Amino acid sequence: MEKFTKLYLKCIKIAIAGAMAYRLNFILSTLLATILNALFPLVTILIYNAGASFPGWGFHEVLLIQGIFLLTNSLAALMFDGVLWSSMSHIREGTFEIVLLKPLPPLSFLIATSFTPEIFGGVVAGVILFSVSLSFTGIAGAIAIFQFLVMFAGGFSVITGLYMMMAAMSFKWVGNSRLTEIFDSIMTFGKYPASIFPSAIRGIATFIIPVAMIGFFPASALLGRAEGVMFLAVIPCLLFMLLGIWIYNKMIRLYEGVGG
Amino acid sequence: MIIKINKLEKTFTTYKRGSGFKAALKSLIRREKVIIKAVDEISFEIPHGEICGLLGPNGAGKSTIIKMLCGALFPTGGEINVAGFNPAKERTRYVKEIGAVFGQKSQLIWDIPPVDSFSMNKAIYGIETAVFNERLAELTALLDVAEVINKPTRVLSLGERMKCEFIMAMLHNPKIVFLDEPTIGLDVIAKANIRDFITKMNKKGTTFILTTHDLEDVELLAGRIIIINHGKKVFDGSLEALKSELGRKKIVELKLLMAAEKIDIKGVSVSERTSRLELILEVDMDIISIGEFVSELSKQAEFTDISIKELPMDKIITAIYKKGSKA
Amino acid sequence: MHDLKRKLKICKSVAWVTIKEYFAYRTHMLVSLFVGPVYFAVQYFIWGAVYRDGGAIAGIGYEQMIRYFGITALIGYLTWGSADWNLSMLVRTGRFLTFALRPLHHRFFALSQKIGHRSLAIFMEFLPSALLLIVIFKISLVPAHLGWFVISVILASLIHFFIAYCIGILSFWFVESNGLRMAYWLFDSIFAGFLIPLVFFPKWLQFIQFFLPFQYTAYVPAMVFIGEYQLGGYELSLPAIVGVQALAALVMLAISELMYRRAMKRFTAVGA
Repeated sequence: MEKFTKLYLKCIKIAIAGAMAYRLNFILSTLLATILNALFPLVTILIYNAGASFPGWGFHEVLLIQGIFLLTNSLAALMFDGVLWSSMSHIREGTFEIVLLKPLPPLSFLIATSFTPEIFGGVVAGVILFSVSLSFTGIAGAIAIFQFLVMFAGGFSVITGLYMMMAAMSFKWVGNSRLTEIFDSIMTFGKYPASIFPSAIRGIATFIIPVAMIGFFPASALLGRAEGVMFLAVIPCLLFMLLGIWIYNKMIRLYEGVGG
Repeated sequence: MIIKINKLEKTFTTYKRGSGFKAALKSLIRREKVIIKAVDEISFEIPHGEICGLLGPNGAGKSTIIKMLCGALFPTGGEINVAGFNPAKERTRYVKEIGAVFGQKSQLIWDIPPVDSFSMNKAIYGIETAVFNERLAELTALLDVAEVINKPTRVLSLGERMKCEFIMAMLHNPKIVFLDEPTIGLDVIAKANIRDFITKMNKKGTTFILTTHDLEDVELLAGRIIIINHGKKVFDGSLEALKSELGRKKIVELKLLMAAEKIDIKGVSVSERTSRLELILEVDMDIISIGEFVSELSKQAEFTDISIKELPMDKIITAIYKKGSKA
Repeated sequence: MHDLKRKLKICKSVAWVTIKEYFAYRTHMLVSLFVGPVYFAVQYFIWGAVYRDGGAIAGIGYEQMIRYFGITALIGYLTWGSADWNLSMLVRTGRFLTFALRPLHHRFFALSQKIGHRSLAIFMEFLPSALLLIVIFKISLVPAHLGWFVISVILASLIHFFIAYCIGILSFWFVESNGLRMAYWLFDSIFAGFLIPLVFFPKWLQFIQFFLPFQYTAYVPAMVFIGEYQLGGYELSLPAIVGVQALAALVMLAISELMYRRAMKRFTAVGA
């Protein structure tokens, strides 16, 4: 583990230095990514501007959900986006053996070596959106913060699981760059107050593919609206992540067996 | 004459660009102009039915000339006429008359069989179906790729792909075909096939202009050689003329029985000592004949092995490059 | 006449080859059959909640709103294209040269490619998605006026193509045009109308859209489908807005031709 942490930090340094080599390009693309992400709650803003609303949720409360969603998402992307794309391209080019030859578990190696600094823009936008909306809504208390942190970690593990499953799928569905669209669309259910969805979808988003944990649940916790069911949902979140990692590693073993 | 160029010129203007952020910002405000003469008053004529090789080190201006001949690049000065056209000015009509294979730039579509790419070019060039079928059959037979053309391009070997590039470029029966590094990266057999194909098509009347780094291409194909260096023409003539450019010389590899004897024959110089007993000599045939040389040599030294060779092409060409740079 | 026939032949041939090319990746198109309905479902529930008390928001009723999102999703399958990416790849790899040496305008080639690609999309994306919307969400997919709608969608597809082609041409000047493409994508995703009907934007921003190409690729055909067009306080009849759209198509064609000529001039001057 210590070896891995050292390697990871080193690779982050290299990745940032690499991006800095094209400083202008890096700053520009990060800026653009920030703007792109900042527009992420645009539909919500326009709805509330037109005098409409989601039942039971104020403007800044919905923005808080989306701020947390964006923050979790970009933090996870910072770590795993590179894993996904480099798995994909290695498989497409038939060069995944390179990864298997390294003296580290393949997943650890890929996480360490494919850090993507360009995603900083999303993190920045997430932090801004999160803190601005929080300044309007306030926090329900110290316990709420603790609850929030637990659920935030839960949300992070759901996305981790999703990334692992995507990467695993790319072993079978070679060269399909549209895989991410599937998972992006599923995650959309975590972006809005769950109360707007019918109960069947709410059930799925809580226990089966727990995407409600990515934005809605942690926001509810911060606002002091957490319910027992939400805490229960942290368990399927962890299971989901473990399932993702398991499937990914299984795919690698299958790949080794076939030899490409 | 199918190609006539007279005092052809091409200059490029680039801007000096420092590295780093500061220099990049600075270059936004004030840029230093650098003018490069890529092609400098080159003239030549090529008759119908010739195979002409354009030779030169990297950056000599070969590709620039080829691109101007194709019509993809406007000359800065001079006259150019290919098959009765001014290539860059009359490009749309002109390109129907020519074919081009650029070793590194594929015309084939990656995911589908070459035969589909061919049928696309059939429509683009407006080739009649009967003519197309006959032509395709002829070309595939010559290149021995009748089965290959039905497999997706991405699974083909480099040699097979290159053969298909030739078909793609020659379906519309061009009078003249431009080849930029046509054998780059190919194995020996594929190279031989391609050269054989070029020779056969040339016998049927197609003119070929090729640039290459592969001197074997030149020796086996080109009846005419033009050497370019620093944008200038430094040689223009037949293979024989090129070989006698440095005088009629032969290379003699010698294995001696005993070491370190001095060899002193008129018109002979030691060009390399590979080991104590092995020598490479250069013999000037204008001064001494091979017979005289051998009899003279046997008086001066005892040897176990001797082989007499032509002066290698790369040596001749390197010498010409050097001569060109001095001029 | 002869020339037109020849062009049709080329178009057919290139389109057919493109269909074969993308057929190898047909399963990728099936992703749309999952993603499209999922996004639509999210919209369906969002607007169901927003319209819980009935009435109209920004002058649009619930029924209309749902049809709007249904039809924009479907229009997307008919208009989308990757001419920008294709062209910038050709320029970056130097393979554009092989097109400069063939007797046809590359834009014509690229358009033919798009026609092929979209023909495939009609069967792999458009029709199945339409069926899903009708069966699952019970959306009425009968346009207010079929003729104007068809014309409007064709124009939208053309305009989308011309914009993308212009973005692609920029790679003749900028080797790294990713940032530019991202900026275009940003504006397109906001102002084409896929996110939300444009009448939700501030009036002045709505008005500007008449002079930008984005609304003509999705918002206009969607409103023509619904049967009433309004933006920036102007209400236009179907023939009028389709006329404006045709004008936009001509302007974009002219811009793309102008840029193409400048690019060719540069290409034949520096060979890059």
